[in-house]
Amino acid sequence: MNKQELILKLKTIIKPYTTNTEAFDNLTEETDFINDLSINSANLVDIVLDIEETFDVVIDNTDMERMLDVKTAVEIIETKLAAK
Amino acid sequence: MIGNDVIDIVQSRRESNWQRKGFLEKIFTAEEQLLIANDVHPETMVWLLWSMKEAAYKIYNRQTKIRAYIPQKLVCSMAFQNNSYASGKVSCCGTVYYTQTFIHREYLHTIAVSDPAQWDTVIEIEKKNIAKDPYGIPFLSSDPSPNRQNVSVSNHGRFEKVVGLSA
Repeated sequence: MNKQELILKLKTIIKPYTTNTEAFDNLTEETDFINDLSINSANLVDIVLDIEETFDVVIDNTDMERMLDVKTAVEIIETKLAAK
Repeated sequence: MIGNDVIDIVQSRRESNWQRKGFLEKIFTAEEQLLIANDVHPETMVWLLWSMKEAAYKIYNRQTKIRAYIPQKLVCSMAFQNNSYASGKVSCCGTVYYTQTFIHREYLHTIAVSDPAQWDTVIEIEKKNIAKDPYGIPFLSSDPSPNRQNVSVSNHGRFEKVVGLSA
């Protein structure tokens, strides 16, 4: 899976939790889940669980701590997939 | 310093499924999960603990300027709890924050302070007088002093609460 495909999959995961459609439509790697997409902090854990299910990886607490924007999420997923 | 968090219970039912597999394990410590499992109203306990963590995190974030998603590092302990009120502590990386939660039928509101001596000075404020500094931290725009009094703003669903410490 290349990075573009990975971001597309991630977008599908994020969509139901975002309340800012404009920021979602213009999503880039710099997009912040809370500040830009207005995602409720309690839903960040849903995103982590959805990532685990979709990519069949385990996100531990140390990874979860940094999971605040698209760039970091992509980086964490890429690392997990490479380690498989 | 002060932090607060309001949770609209009806909105939270729409947004979150706390009974989802893995949800509680990701955000709550083993002791907190036990508090939830043993409570007569597990849903209220979930959001009570979550709002304690959120309110304490707001102070932690102000003190350290660190942004991180660390629900398990914000460790809650309850001192008192009944149907309409709860008080407790949240420890994070060696620092203790003190919390009081007002439990209503449709929403919860938790206030956290860094020093229990500040409880007597907590005030509710009207939203219109609030500005934000470059870190996004709100303050009273009418306050001319260089040590502007920090305030905390929280909104969720139909509810919004603004609190501060009077000088």
